[in-house]
Amino acid sequence: MSIGEYFNLLWTDYTLRTITLGTAVLGAICGMLGSFAVLRKQSLLGDAISHAALPGIAIAFLITGAKDSNILMLGALVSGLIGTFWIRGMITKTHLKTDTALGLILSLFFGFGMMLLTYIQKQPNANQAGLDKYLFGQAATLVESDVKVMIIVTGICLFVLLLFWKEFKILLFDADYTKTLGFNTRFIDILITFFIVLAIVLGLQTVGVVLMSALLLAPAAAARQWTNSLGLMVILAAIFGAFSGVLGTAISASQNNLSTGPVIVLVASVFVFVSFIFSPGRGLLFREIRFRKNRKDLQLKKTLQFMYGIVKTHDNISHPHAIRILNNFHGFTRGSLRKLEEKHWITLEGQQWALTNEGFKEAEDLYNQQSNNE
Amino acid sequence: MNNPQIEIQLIAAVVAIACAIPGVFLVLRKMALISDAISHAILPGIVIGFFITQDLNSPILILLAALTGVITVVLVEIIQKTKLVKEDTAIGLVFPALFSIGVILIAKNANDVHLDVDAVLLGELAFAPFDRLLISGMDMGPKSLWVMGVILIMTLALLVMFFKELKVSTFDTGLSSALGFSPIILHYGLMSVSSITVVGAFDAVGAILVVALMIAPAATAYLLTSDLKKMLGLSIGIGVFAAIAGYWLAHILDTSISGSMTTVLGLVFLLVYLFAPSKGLLSVLYRQKQQRIEVSLITFLLHLTNHSEENERHINHLNEHINWQKVRSKNVLNLALKNNMITIENKVVSLTNKGQEFTDLAIEYIITNRDENIEHMKDDFFLFRG
Repeated sequence: MSIGEYFNLLWTDYTLRTITLGTAVLGAICGMLGSFAVLRKQSLLGDAISHAALPGIAIAFLITGAKDSNILMLGALVSGLIGTFWIRGMITKTHLKTDTALGLILSLFFGFGMMLLTYIQKQPNANQAGLDKYLFGQAATLVESDVKVMIIVTGICLFVLLLFWKEFKILLFDADYTKTLGFNTRFIDILITFFIVLAIVLGLQTVGVVLMSALLLAPAAAARQWTNSLGLMVILAAIFGAFSGVLGTAISASQNNLSTGPVIVLVASVFVFVSFIFSPGRGLLFREIRFRKNRKDLQLKKTLQFMYGIVKTHDNISHPHAIRILNNFHGFTRGSLRKLEEKHWITLEGQQWALTNEGFKEAEDLYNQQSNNE
Repeated sequence: MNNPQIEIQLIAAVVAIACAIPGVFLVLRKMALISDAISHAILPGIVIGFFITQDLNSPILILLAALTGVITVVLVEIIQKTKLVKEDTAIGLVFPALFSIGVILIAKNANDVHLDVDAVLLGELAFAPFDRLLISGMDMGPKSLWVMGVILIMTLALLVMFFKELKVSTFDTGLSSALGFSPIILHYGLMSVSSITVVGAFDAVGAILVVALMIAPAATAYLLTSDLKKMLGLSIGIGVFAAIAGYWLAHILDTSISGSMTTVLGLVFLLVYLFAPSKGLLSVLYRQKQQRIEVSLITFLLHLTNHSEENERHINHLNEHINWQKVRSKNVLNLALKNNMITIENKVVSLTNKGQEFTDLAIEYIITNRDENIEHMKDDFFLFRG
């Protein structure tokens, strides 16, 4: 099946529609909440939580013996939350640093989870096959009820986000101020962390524990490049996330034995890469262009300033001078002189140049910061 | 215990030691998550190396994959330098992308590559003894033991040679560059050693559990000591213990060896986290409670010196005036009584001479706000602590 066929089938095939809707919703919620994670400098918390969810899935399966994805997700949620609060406890109560705490929870929980998974695999229970889809995710296993749960959770999350928008925003940018205003910062903090954990747990089935954090981060990091407004960033991240989800699923469905997780992550990474380079405000390309333009501008102004130094002792500022006398100033070329002429700062005639009134003023005001840069 | 069993435990122990040494420095330098990034990001290097060499233990593959690890570090630093995103986001963006490429490469070439995703995450320690190193027909033992042994010896040699430099640059970057040790060279040296160790250990314990072997022993040891040498020794000890205990746990439960090793590490860490003598959770909580009540006591004594009127010193009034809960007031009063700082007559509290002396010193301490610790003063006066 090619990607084109996939999108044609999308309108007719029920399964494909469910899966695509599911990944789109998932991408959107992850982008939304990921914005907060990125701005709160908790990018890697997502990584730790998603790994920490694995033992929860395994234990939920061991207890119930059923592969109902809602129960497994509940287990993942509980174990993700335990991981999160343990990380917090470690950072506040001991002298272990954030990175150590994250790395510890990530690897220890994951190792424990893997031990449980191998234990489950050895059990004489035909039902256990397919638990390892939680490692890398398989969008194809999404069914309508999963998607429903996703949509409901996204709805709740959106509602809470709008309800507490002001609080989230102020906590994000100035936690101390929030506290002095009398908000319960602890509550807001726990609320937003809870929703981040929830988003991660939702995505486990589709993207898998190993790569879930990237789906949280990448759309937000991409969106951050295009705007400085939180509202716009959240919306953009949701859109990027949804597109990554849909495109990733389409590509992985059109190929044999490709897990969804890695493909979605790569698509999201492409979004990030493009944003890093091409975003107009912060992107590397435009930054470089601006840098070059400024450098050229500076070069021209330096030439102008040198000419000004020669001219200002004369009575007639437009008295022509030979180009030769610029020779002990090295920063000029024929081209740059022509540019100066284009700006009507000097006039060129044969081997001679003369400053215009305009150019004289410009040079005079150069250090006064009064001239407007066009 | 048969021969392969001993060999597996030996390999596990060597891996644990080799991981613990760079791990200590990563934890101390607050770069623990770099090990996570490296361990994921070397996957494409391993897969491509495997295409070339067809042997997971070949030195070329290890170098190639280690190079990928160093490239990851450089890539993260480049992204950080653009200032487009924060440091942790940069890490979080780079390694999932590289890891995804690795997973996709494996999936697309599943027929040619004898790597599967489970092996990537978990390693195949149980099979390690079957891959023997044969030199002109002689059986020299398992290949991975040799690989890890060489890496361990190299790490140990570097550690001994550059111990002083590593120590200085870890705790005081400014001083170390002033003394002429380039922090950049040491940084990349450490990164290279970590990468090589991760790649070597990857085969045995897998991508994510190698992180556990690096961070967990070091973090556990960090809770027990503040001495670098002791910390190194302790993490090695914890690593080896976890390796061997983990093997037997796996043997009993019939589970993955590396998963069980991590579980043992987790349990050891949990115990130390709760019960470590001065930095564990319980002793921190206990100390915080003690300090809270002792600060209350000082506040209470200050209040007493400020008021000579009887009604201000009446027990009930104190309760209302300082606005403490009943239990807390009672605790503070008891502590003061036990330490002979106050006497209570007819429900009126008065300071004893000793209490007066202590309060004066405390006031002086608070006014001058000297940087020294108030603890020794407490030691002088307190018979019982809060």
